[in-house]
Amino acid sequence: MQGERKKGWWILGVLVGLGFVVLPLFIEGYWIRVLTSIFMYAIITAALNIIAGYAGYAAFGNIVFFGVGAYTTAMLMLRVGFYWWTGALIGGLLAAIYAILLGIPILRLRGHYFAIATLGINRATEQIALDWGSFTGGGKGITLPLPKMEIQNFYAMIYFIMLGLLLVTILVNYVISRSRLGYALRAIRDNEDAAEASGIFAPRCKIVAWAISAFITGVTGGVFAYWFSFIEPATVFDIMIAVKAFVMMMLGGAGTVLGPVIGAFLIEVISETVWGQFLTLHMLILGIIMVGVVILIPRGMLSLFGRKFSLAALWRNIKNQAV
Amino acid sequence: MALLEGKGVSKSFGALNAVDQIDFQIGQNEILGLIGPNGAGKTTLVNLITGVYPLTTGKIVFNGQRIDGLKPARISRLGMTRTFQIVKPFPGMSVRENVVIGSLFGKNGAARTTRSAFQEADRWIEYVNLQDYRKASVDQINISFRKRMDLAKALAMEPDLLMLDEVMAGLNSKDIEEMMALVTRVNQELKTTLLVIEHVMKAVMSISHRVMVLHHGRKIADASPQEIVKDDRVIEAYLGERYAKARRAS
Repeated sequence: MQGERKKGWWILGVLVGLGFVVLPLFIEGYWIRVLTSIFMYAIITAALNIIAGYAGYAAFGNIVFFGVGAYTTAMLMLRVGFYWWTGALIGGLLAAIYAILLGIPILRLRGHYFAIATLGINRATEQIALDWGSFTGGGKGITLPLPKMEIQNFYAMIYFIMLGLLLVTILVNYVISRSRLGYALRAIRDNEDAAEASGIFAPRCKIVAWAISAFITGVTGGVFAYWFSFIEPATVFDIMIAVKAFVMMMLGGAGTVLGPVIGAFLIEVISETVWGQFLTLHMLILGIIMVGVVILIPRGMLSLFGRKFSLAALWRNIKNQAV
Repeated sequence: MALLEGKGVSKSFGALNAVDQIDFQIGQNEILGLIGPNGAGKTTLVNLITGVYPLTTGKIVFNGQRIDGLKPARISRLGMTRTFQIVKPFPGMSVRENVVIGSLFGKNGAARTTRSAFQEADRWIEYVNLQDYRKASVDQINISFRKRMDLAKALAMEPDLLMLDEVMAGLNSKDIEEMMALVTRVNQELKTTLLVIEHVMKAVMSISHRVMVLHHGRKIADASPQEIVKDDRVIEAYLGERYAKARRAS
């Protein structure tokens, strides 16, 4: 019974994946761009999920790795003449190394202190990109070499790269969730002292998790830089990307394999179709969704489909809040 | 040779000497009861042994290896496990997942696949008689079950030395009987050495081979349970000086 249910989900997943593969045959321009951007948000959110969802470390400044990846790619393409993809891979590696070096001191912090430290790091790194104008182009931003192919094909290519990267990220989440690392991270999230007493080397596990998260985020930043062919510090170190990723993760279900991806799709689709019209209201609604999710479905949308937490549980929560 | 030995172990928090120059040892397969009034330093001593706090002075040797200064996770992988006074389960996980943490990261955990770790976990869940609640989430089971789950998790780590910090606190008398039987069984069947911190005197006196008494951070007695109940200093520590004097007079 349970096995068949599982099989059903797998088939559905593969069908959805295949759907996205053939979709570019039927849509064009605007919708390709929208979907590519949704994939990108889903990747960032799923990568955030590794450190914030599984390990429970609220890395609000995780977007710093996006910026590091983007700038590394830009610099390597412009100043050394690398291909975009070698640039993006090296950008991911640098982001991971950055996470390891930073993680050794700041992953000792817990709760709010860690969250604030990551915000500070993001801001400080952005400042370096701003002030080191002779190398990075500073606040004016920097233009990357343009692709030597037809623009439609280029956008389709980026679409497939982001889709592929998303599938890899989901796979990484899946593997982690069933591995010893995943169990260690969840134990750390639930109670770090008890986890250490149970023989889990917490610092090492947290650093590994953050490095994986940073690598994926860094590569995504590199692809973004190539895609937009223009980057500036304010865009690639934008803290709002990370905040949005948090909302997406919480909405879908933190610490689950597919929750963050589902959350990203929901928020981005709504955001593109509805709130695009109301730019300032956008943030207000995002805030309201965040509060609503935390109060009503603290374990995220995915939990509504489980057996333990059903729509009945959601209704109970609503009633309890009303009283 | 003693399994665990401490010499001149002290811990000060500022001016307070929570644990003051204590020598102790536990032999292979022994059950040592550790008692003392609230604030005597029992839990602090366990925290020193398991590496949660660094020692102010002294040294601790486990299985012939010096362990003071090592990190808790390192010490626990050497074969020493504890349960917590206030049970610290992983609330986001099921009973089975809680116990599997023990079999994944305990003494032999590194060599296990997750699948075989789950088989191990199931074995220990049956050992503490929780098999009907394997899939239950931790917040759905009561304190007595949670204490047993914590014990199963500790056993899944296959420790040579298991420290139980008030594993009977908050249980009713029927549950206490069961827990006592379980603890004795662990000692006899699995040859696990036990350090039992307990406030339930009936329990600690009947299962311990030897009892050590702490008071204001100092060791005031270390003898068989029969001798401990007659010891004047122990009675004084628990019931006050005046009662002890009156008792001596009569």
